[in-house]
Formats: sequence, structure tokens, C-alpha cells
Amino acid sequence: MENAKRLYEAVLEGDAKTARSVTEAALAAGVDPQKLVTEQMIPAMDEAGRRFECNEFFVPELLVSARAMKAALELIRPLLAARGAQPAGRVVIGTVKGDLHDIGKNLVAAMLEGGGFEVIDLGVDVSPERFVATAREKEAHLIALSALLTTTMPSMQATVEALQRAGLRERFKVMIGGAPITQKYADEIGADGYSENAAGAVALARRLSAPM
Amino acid sequence: MNSRERFFAMLDGRPVDSLVLMPITMMYAADQAGVRYGDYAADHRVLVEAQIVTAEKFDLDYVSCISDPGREAADCGAVVKFFPDQPPAIDEQQARLADKIELARLRAPDPLGGGRMHDRVRAAALFKERVGYSKVIEGWVEGPCAEAADLRGINSLMMDFIDDPAFVQDLFAFVIEMELRFARAQIEAGADIIGVGDAAASLVGPRIYEEIVWPWEKRLVDGLHALGARVRLHICGNTSRILDGMGKLGCAIVDLDLASMADGRAKMGPDQILLGNIHPVHVVKNGTPEAVTAAIAACHRECAPRFIVGAGCEVPRGTPAENMMALTRYAREHRP
Ligand code: B12
Repeated sequence: MENAKRLYEAVLEGDAKTARSVTEAALAAGVDPQKLVTEQMIPAMDEAGRRFECNEFFVPELLVSARAMKAALELIRPLLAARGAQPAGRVVIGTVKGDLHDIGKNLVAAMLEGGGFEVIDLGVDVSPERFVATAREKEAHLIALSALLTTTMPSMQATVEALQRAGLRERFKVMIGGAPITQKYADEIGADGYSENAAGAVALARRLSAPM
Repeated sequence: MNSRERFFAMLDGRPVDSLVLMPITMMYAADQAGVRYGDYAADHRVLVEAQIVTAEKFDLDYVSCISDPGREAADCGAVVKFFPDQPPAIDEQQARLADKIELARLRAPDPLGGGRMHDRVRAAALFKERVGYSKVIEGWVEGPCAEAADLRGINSLMMDFIDDPAFVQDLFAFVIEMELRFARAQIEAGADIIGVGDAAASLVGPRIYEEIVWPWEKRLVDGLHALGARVRLHICGNTSRILDGMGKLGCAIVDLDLASMADGRAKMGPDQILLGNIHPVHVVKNGTPEAVTAAIAACHRECAPRFIVGAGCEVPRGTPAENMMALTRYAREHRP
């Protein structure tokens, strides 16, 4: 597992090249791809998230870690899929209508991927209808909404309402976040969960997608 | 004292009759004048009228050319989307420097070349004509980090800091030259102070800020001083970890957004004028007039006497007039 330890370090250091080559070498040596994910990549992203919360990492460091993680994941994902391994859950994520802020959303999406979720990222300025249609089409478990502007927060409520109107509210869990969002707001609009940061978002998604 | 006299006396450390009042208004100003924000950002005559209406209504000491960060990028050829009643937005998917090679081909636009930058220069000139004897006129440029983010895409720039710092340095060099030309045109047209907005600088952490961003902010500020302007630095967001550096830039005024005024005072020393910083959403927009008064009094206590009344960032659209009035009343009823 000497090589695999280097994967943990490469992800944490944001070194995508090394993350790829170490992963290739480990796979060639017969290391279990699932183990690479659970023992190296997830802990590395957890550590990156922790450092971000303690102000040891900032946006640049977290973004390059996420990119390194994705580089390794690209090699591993097809192998897991071929084995029929199920993702921890399928998440449709996006920044709500009228809002173009996406750094936080990108970090959350990357952390979710690192946490073993399949992530469908709709980008920014996403309408309630598009969230609903995509979640239905892709048979997602979770819808994750990000908003950074107080003026675009109401679009979160509109998305929850659009789900209700479509008779789909029970089918998907809705989680929300972004700097102006609070637990209180999540409760008010009937979202299933809120998290203040990207690391918390993964724990939340795990909780929400656990079978009741 | 009129606003200009009060402002320059305050800057020079002479006695003044009341606190100086300089909250940032953009969409709020457009709403005061009953104009749509798309027009405000596109036509300097609309902007100037709305700024003057707002400054007169709330007795603000200044008027500003600020509208959105996309002016320079638009003139550099970036794709900018306009909306009827929202700020224009740069399309990051099609960033001007999505391919780094493009930097070599980029030429600094002529600020008098009929583009969006020229529209801002015209705003400065029209302000001078309309309120040049009573109000302070603020021009505006983007700082290195903010403008580089507008040209390159903010997500890419953040990674460039780690992947390719040499590219970032080259990009910053381009930006600083462009911004200094832009500032010169605004100063020649009538701007008394230049605001430098460097929003994205709050995202990078102290090491990158000090090693890569700060030296270019410093060059920009020194260049602006050489042009005879006073400088106001505005970095949105949580700047707690970079306050030291912000203080060492030598700006006449430093705005604080999500950082404590007491901390700012401690880190920047007794002489630095600090502007701010009641919370734009929780207090200015959603609070009561009493809450506004209490919050601004706390800021004042924490950093008197070198203090200017303002909010942490733009006064949001939908702020009740009573809340703005509370800010005005506080400023007029108190001395530094
Ligand atoms: C970068 C930035 C921009 C960039 C955005 C580029 C981009 N591609 O994202 C640009 C320049 C385009 C921009 C534009 C504007 N902005 Co802006 N911007 C910022 C800034 C500086 C940083 C935001 C950021 O990325 N933070 C870093 C990330 C990592 O944090 P985060 O997004 O909060 O995400 C974390 C958590 O919230 C959580 N999270 C996020 N999403 C989700 C989702 C889920 C499901 C979960 C569980 C968790 C979660 O996890 C993340 C990681 O821990 C902030 C100020 C600041 N420093 O906070 C202003 C700020 C957000 N902007 C603001 C404003 C007003 C605007 C403009 C209207 C300005 C204008 N007049 O032009 C426009 C609006 C454009 C639009 N229609 O969206 C205001 C918002 C005020 C408000 N509350 O309404 C802020 C707070 C600045 C201020 N102090 O006034 N902006």
C-alpha cells in the first residue's frame, strides 16, 4: 500500500499528475480500486475539507485537491461500474436561478464525488423546473441547491414547491447551502437538510441517502 | 461644511463638523431614481442621475462611478451578458482568457475608445459638471485579483495561483497597466478618489495574498498616488487573515466587510481611516433603524477617530429608507 499512501498525499497536495500516475500504478499492481477510494481518496478529501474549515486551506488549495481527486476517480470509476458497485447515492447539484456564484457549489460537488456519490452538476442559473426534470430523468436520490445571494434564495423554495406540484416531493431529498442560508431557512421552506460547509455537505448527504 | 470640505478635512486630519458618510449604493441607487439597473450600468447619464438623487436624498458625501466589475473585461473582448434590471454578468464558461495563450494577444483597451470603460469616464466628467463643487467624486477600477478573475474565470485563476504563478504574475502586470490607464482617464475627467475593488482577494489565504497579490495591489496603489488620486480599497468578504497587508498598502481609506473593525484598527494602526462595516443584509436591509444605529455606533467606538460611516458592502436593494436615514442621522449627529 506504499503507493496508495502517495495517492492520499497527492490528493491533499493537489497534485493531479501524481494522483493519476500513482493510481495507475496501484491498479496495475492489483490494488482493489474500492480500497483506493475509501482508504485514500475519501480520507484525503475529508482532511482537505477539515483544513479549509480551520483556515489552513483556502479556495485555491481546496480546488486543486478536488481536481486531483477527480483525476484519480476518472481512472477508478469505470472499474467500479464494471463490477456493478453502486454509488453512495446520485445527486443533482446546481446554483439556483439568477445566481452565478459557483465556487462553493463546485467544492461541494467535488467533495460529494470524493465521498462516493455520483454527481450531476447542472452549473449555475438553474431553474426549479430543470432541477426537477433532471432529478426525475436521472433517477437521483438527492437535489442539492446552492445560493449566494439573498435575492436568489426564494428560488430554493420555488424548487421545493415545484417538486410538490409534480407530486415528487417524497421521491427526492433536498439539501441546501451557501453563505446566506441558515438551518432556520431550510426548515421554513421544507428542505430536508442544510450544511454550512462542503465537508458537512458530505455527511449530510450520507445521512439523507441512508435507508430509513 | 459641504461634503467635499468635510471629506478632505477628514482625510488631512483637520477638524470636521460631522462624520463622513460613504455607503456603497448601486442597485439601491437605481431603485431610488426609479430606473432599471441594466440602464444604470449601460448609460452613464442614468447612473449619474441616480447617484445624485440618492446622495441628495440621504445626504451622502460622495457619488460613485461604480456599477459592476465587467467594464474592463467587456472592453477586452469578454462575453458580458446584460439583463434588464440586474448587474451585467461575465460569462465564465467563455472567459476571455480561457486559453492562457490569449494573454499574449490581449491589448489594453483605450479607456476613451467608446466602450464600457469610456462610459465610466463620461460618468466622472458628468459628475464633475453636476456636483463637482459639492460632492466627492469617486472613480472605480478593479484590483489585480478581481480583474484577473474576470478575464480568466475565477475558478481557473484560483488554481493558477498554485499551478502557474508565473502566468498569474504576467496577467497581473497586464491588469495593472490597464487599470492605471483607466484610472488616469477617470481622474482627468474629474474623479477625486479612486476606489479599488479586489473582491476575490479574500478567497486566497494569507500566503498567496502576501506573495502574489499584495505586491501588485501595492504597485496599483503607488501608481494611483503618482497620478494624484486618493485611494479607497474595497475587498468584499472575510479579510480577517489579510488585514496586515491591506494596512500596508498606504491607501487613504480601507473598507472592511466581514472582518471586525477592532481587529482592523489593531492591525492597521491608529492613523488608517477605516470605512464600514455594518452587515449589509442582516442589519442594513433586514434590521430596524434602532439596530442600524446601534451597529454603526459600535463600529464607531471600535475605531474612532479615523472612521467613515458605511456598510460592509453594497447597500442591498430593498433596504428600507428609514434604515438609510438612521445611518445618515448617525453620521450627521456625531463627530469623529
Ligand atoms: C466570488 C464572488 C463573486 C463572483 C462569482 C464568480 C463565481 N464563479 O462564483 C462574481 C464577481 C461573478 C460575483 C458577482 C456578484 N456578486 Co458576489 N461575491 C463573491 C465573493 C467574493 C465570494 C463568494 C465565494 O465564492 N466564496 C467562497 C465559497 C467557497 O464559499 P460559499 O460559496 O459560501 O460555499 C461554501 C458554503 O456556503 C457551502 N455551500 C455552498 N453551496 C452549498 C450547497 C449545498 C447543498 C450545501 C450543503 C453547502 C453549500 O459550502 C461551501 C464550501 O464550504 C462573495 C463575498 C465573500 N467573500 O463571501 C461575494 C458576494 C456573495 N457577492 C455578492 C453580490 C451582491 C454580487 C453581485 C450582485 C454584485 C454586483 N453588484 O455585481 C453579483 C451577482 C452576480 C449573480 N447574478 O450571481 C454579495 C451577496 C450579498 C447577499 N447576501 O445577497 C457578496 C456576499 C459580497 C457582499 N459582501 O456583498 N460575486
